[in-house]
Amino acid sequence: MAEPAVNNTQTLAEQYYVKDEQVKTDEVAKPVEVKDVEKPKEAPSEEAVVEKTVEKTTVAPTVGEDSSEVAPPAEASTEEQRSGSVEEENSGDQDAAEETPEIKLETAPADFRFPTTNQTRHCFTRYVEYHRCVAVKGEDAPECDRFAKYYRSLCPGEWIDRWNEQRENGTFPGPL
Amino acid sequence: MKSKWLFLTIAPCDAAEPWQLGFQDATTPMMQGIIDLHHDIFFFLILILVFVSRILVCALWHFHYKKNPIPQRIVHGTAIEILRTIFPSIILMFIAIPSFALLYSMDEVVVDPAITIKAIGHQWYQTYEYSDYNSSDEQSLTFDSYTIPEDDLELGQSRLLEVDNRVPVPAKSHIRIIVTPADVPHSWDVPSLGVKCDVVPGRLNQISILVQQEEVYYGQWSEICGTNHAFTPIVVEAVPSKDYGSRVSNQLIPQTTGEASAKMKE
Repeated sequence: MAEPAVNNTQTLAEQYYVKDEQVKTDEVAKPVEVKDVEKPKEAPSEEAVVEKTVEKTTVAPTVGEDSSEVAPPAEASTEEQRSGSVEEENSGDQDAAEETPEIKLETAPADFRFPTTNQTRHCFTRYVEYHRCVAVKGEDAPECDRFAKYYRSLCPGEWIDRWNEQRENGTFPGPL
Repeated sequence: MKSKWLFLTIAPCDAAEPWQLGFQDATTPMMQGIIDLHHDIFFFLILILVFVSRILVCALWHFHYKKNPIPQRIVHGTAIEILRTIFPSIILMFIAIPSFALLYSMDEVVVDPAITIKAIGHQWYQTYEYSDYNSSDEQSLTFDSYTIPEDDLELGQSRLLEVDNRVPVPAKSHIRIIVTPADVPHSWDVPSLGVKCDVVPGRLNQISILVQQEEVYYGQWSEICGTNHAFTPIVVEAVPSKDYGSRVSNQLIPQTTGEASAKMKE
């Protein structure tokens, strides 16, 4: 009797936990992308493969041509992606930015999950979001660049170093 | 001759001056709001001061053993008591409404900022990080900002207010400053920007400002700092936003501290 009950609670807790995360990430206001992140978790085999292939096709042109190619598929997904596509474009320019004096004034937007002066959670959440994105999409998925830019803008370098170290040691306290 | 009196127009603009009584010039809408609120409140304040001191002086003046041998013996008056309760509370309301409006609007971040600057306090220097243009965790646009010691000051520089590396910010764009210390708590304070934010270890505090004039603004760490801590200045230099990009990429990326301080002389 006791055993199934325990199992039940555990799965419930897990379900709830995951759901909570979903709600959280949904509020990021990029619904489509977040869904992409979530789906592979629940249905690992098929969806993930599909995702991977789709990704491959999008990644290939990026390498070959300018990052403006990335914008149309991203734009097609939702209108919220408008900001996203701009970010991606920028990330493509990033390497060039070091040589040329042209710097685009752009940073992590104001996030209405974190309207207060205290932005500690903002930085942390962006860091977690990026690594969750990378875990699902692969190391150099262009979709995750945006989150990387956000957390680098918001978090002090020292914190990032410490968290990176913790992730390597497996002691990172966040839900990755 | 003319340049001799130029300091009258320039000097009081941003840094504190000797024997200064008023505010430093406002450069953000926030500071303008603070100054306006101050003036608004002072209107009521002086009105009340004059009124109360008039009553007080009158009472003292007329309370005299020869002029008024038998003083008035009023102990109760409903009308006057109601009046002097209602009237001050109306005045308080007139003060409170704009005050709260300003207070909450200072916290609010309505628009997306154009850049994020991280100000990381150390004992006793400030590190600034510009990380909006990074493509990896390692390469960060970081520089330290130390006080210029008294012996190294050049003519015209303010003692304990100059630093070797100023913080360039673009004027007329929304800026997010994230403050956090690496060791002890303190408070990041630039009066002209209307900013004073506690800096607490393990916590990121956000300041959002909009600098309207291209100038140099001086501030200091204040309040809760340890010894010598409050003498660590902050120098914010607002540059036109079209020059900001070149300023950041040319001056800060090939960062060499000695050269930068020489260039800072301007």
